[in-house]
Amino acid sequence: MRLRFTGLAAWWVQRASAVFMLLFIVFALVAFWLYPRHSYLEWRSWASSPCVVMAILAFFAALLLHMWVGLRDVLLDYAKPAGLRRLLLGGVAGSLFGMAVWVVLILARLQT
Amino acid sequence: MKLSISRYNPEHDESPYLQDYEIELVASDHMLLDVLLRLKQQDDTLSFRRSCREGVCGSDAMNINGRNGLACITRTSTLREPVVIRPLPGFPIIRDLFVDMTQFFKQYESITPYLVNDESPPEKERLQSPAERDRLNGAYECILCACCSSQCPSYWWNPDKFVGPAGLIKAYRFIFDSRDRATEQRLDDLGGDPYRLFRCRTIMNCAEVCPKGLEPVRAIEAIRLKIAQLPVHQGGLETHPPKSPK
Repeated sequence: MRLRFTGLAAWWVQRASAVFMLLFIVFALVAFWLYPRHSYLEWRSWASSPCVVMAILAFFAALLLHMWVGLRDVLLDYAKPAGLRRLLLGGVAGSLFGMAVWVVLILARLQT
Repeated sequence: MKLSISRYNPEHDESPYLQDYEIELVASDHMLLDVLLRLKQQDDTLSFRRSCREGVCGSDAMNINGRNGLACITRTSTLREPVVIRPLPGFPIIRDLFVDMTQFFKQYESITPYLVNDESPPEKERLQSPAERDRLNGAYECILCACCSSQCPSYWWNPDKFVGPAGLIKAYRFIFDSRDRATEQRLDDLGGDPYRLFRCRTIMNCAEVCPKGLEPVRAIEAIRLKIAQLPVHQGGLETHPPKSPK
């Protein structure tokens, strides 16, 4: 089955991802405010705990999905020639996928 | 008053151009339409629509100093000079300030703009409670002047697919009417297509330029919430004091 974020599904994705990102940002700010981390090792220790890793992964998943829906909508409006549109959508999808891989690699490195 | 008005005659112009006019205001020139009507007496080739002169029919919608509005309720005293008048943006130009509104009314027609109720009619009339009637406030006042749709980027790029703010505020008016019995069909029609309703990106130009102070964007959000089976704000839609072009 092809995963399509259009219409109501895209609307849900944008709103749910926005709410999650907002919650994560508030959580992160409060965490930094209550427990300031002054060194790289303290940061690394915090960011490599399993719960935080899952939250960061979920945050970037929400961010990238949010970006995909938004950027795709912009391209559907402005890039009318089918070939150009496919090229740009492919570029955006490739870039977002690259960012997702990068995030996973960084988080995996923290575990070692 | 100095004016710069978009002119286009398809018989001998390749593209629209701005023509400058200068006219001495008289005491009766309260509104921009008064000035345009006197200008037309001097230059009878100048073409624009108008009818009621009261802000009710919506015929004289045009782009005034970069902002859509009705010439008949735009005060001359508040306008920056030269007043640049162009046809409604995004619509095909027929001549001067005349635009082709065929697509706009096709979209309006597509939302089934009338009550659908096959139940046998009551002896007198289909009654509504005051609360049911209140839900239509902020939507029924739309005069279909097209100021909103013509200022909506989502409508500019997809006039054939996206219903547009004017059509959607009318759709709200029927979806939330307690006497209508076609709610499911209306929601299926709008929600089953990625463009018809969901192309709205909440840019809010529609609410900004509505000469009646309506907020189509809120109607669109209410329809989306209804489709998503989420609670919808009770009562009518919010409105605001309309802002005129400056």
